[in-house]
Amino acid sequence: MSNYQKPLPVIQPHSAAFWEGTRQHKLMIQHCRDCDSNIFYPRKHCPECWSENLDWIESSGKAKVFSFSVTYEGLEPMFQQDLPIILAWVDLPEGVRMCTNLLNCDPDEIEIGMEVDVVFQQATEDITIPYFTPSSPVV
Amino acid sequence: MSKGLAIVGIAEVPTKRDPERTRWDILLEVCVGAVRDAGIDKNEINAVISPNPMAQPEMQNDMALGKIPDVLGLKGCRDICIANAGGTSNTNCLRLAQELIDSGQANFVLIPHTTVQSDMPPADLINFFATAPLDKQWEYPWGVSFNGSMGLITNRYMYETGASQEQMAAVTVGLRAWAAMDPMSIFYGKPLTLDDVLESRMVSTPLHARECNLLADGGGAMVVTSHEIARQMGDGRHAYKLGHGTRFTSAAPFTREDIFFRESYRASSQDALKQAGMTIDDIDLRQIYGAYPFTQCSALEGYGAVPENQGAIAWAEGRCGPGGDLPCTTMGDAIGRGHTGSGVSMAFYIDCVRQIRGEAGERQIQNCNNVIVTTSGGSGMNTCTTVFGSEPR
Repeated sequence: MSNYQKPLPVIQPHSAAFWEGTRQHKLMIQHCRDCDSNIFYPRKHCPECWSENLDWIESSGKAKVFSFSVTYEGLEPMFQQDLPIILAWVDLPEGVRMCTNLLNCDPDEIEIGMEVDVVFQQATEDITIPYFTPSSPVV
Repeated sequence: MSKGLAIVGIAEVPTKRDPERTRWDILLEVCVGAVRDAGIDKNEINAVISPNPMAQPEMQNDMALGKIPDVLGLKGCRDICIANAGGTSNTNCLRLAQELIDSGQANFVLIPHTTVQSDMPPADLINFFATAPLDKQWEYPWGVSFNGSMGLITNRYMYETGASQEQMAAVTVGLRAWAAMDPMSIFYGKPLTLDDVLESRMVSTPLHARECNLLADGGGAMVVTSHEIARQMGDGRHAYKLGHGTRFTSAAPFTREDIFFRESYRASSQDALKQAGMTIDDIDLRQIYGAYPFTQCSALEGYGAVPENQGAIAWAEGRCGPGGDLPCTTMGDAIGRGHTGSGVSMAFYIDCVRQIRGEAGERQIQNCNNVIVTTSGGSGMNTCTTVFGSEPR
């Protein structure tokens, strides 16, 4: 695992709980106790009401594809072995959208609105990265 | 007091990839050229305000820390500054210049831009354009690039509007048709067909290589003054700024509600047109800096120049290219010009001036009096829309 070559997320104090969650294969979404907003990406202050009274909820990890783009070229050499990479923006039922990759699917079979589930891949001892994969694998 | 802002001097170098032509070569040529074009003495320049040359730290220091007035001997220079808001940097240079003019601190301000990207290793450029505007925690680890990010937006745009690959490709064909007639373009004399676009390599779906930007070297400069002074200069036919509006969306594209910047185009253009006392129907030319084809479509929709979801149709019908009834972006956008970094929008303002002066050659729009110019920064974080006219108010 220590030979992971791709860029690792630059973690901040207020996002540490998200990455602690992924290590435990949980997708944690920040939640504001004062105005009840779900927040992504994690912040020090709630972007709606500036409260610092922030908590975390666990997402079901069941999302829908809002958009996707299959990247064939133009990335730095460290991504080369992974091309093509399927970039996706997925909408979680908690009302937030995140950027990710879709794994284990044929680029030609992806559709906007498709249901996908979170999966986790360990990058290093400390970092596990969330990805998504189709809920009903195409036969 | 002498107020308002008018662009009275312009100069540009051809956009190309040529590491032998240095940043200072470009800078000196455009500074001297724009001051001579304005027909003023160098010592009449009271301030130099430049877009920040991103990814070029030495040049950034030179420009931020006063080398330009020093090297050029601008004895009347009172102030210097660089502005950085990505692709909207020039817009903010114009706004800073206007503040100096309106407050009586300056009669003439010089705004120069220079960029050389051909001397940087490709991997460094890719890294810069992936890590500067994109999020190092929430985008970069998944291999998001500028092209990937804009591919995500374009795919959704096509899904929501029903625009086809052919209609989207028509935008690039139209932009390259303008660029092919522009000696300042890296693609001068090189138009494309629909097949050329659609058969080019797929970079990040649905964007083909021809629908992405070639990073290039270039530069330009403007001399600006007040409405009153401009009216007395030359034949008095200059680009007078008549209205302006801006909107901010968000740094990270995936957090935006205004996915296609359409609402930002709408709100910023309404502000600018209202100040100018015009409607979109009064506009003769639309100069849209969006760097990717969908922006040429969603801007038209946001302006209200075409019905919502029909921007790509307008391009496919040939309405926005040469000979069309709705001419857009006669300098070819960055796709047709070659992308010159954070000062890229210089070429849009300069072409606005050329069109208003009637000096755009083969690309000239007949009776071009009112021009709307929109720029965006970062990965679409903001939208800055300005209305220019051939007459001061």
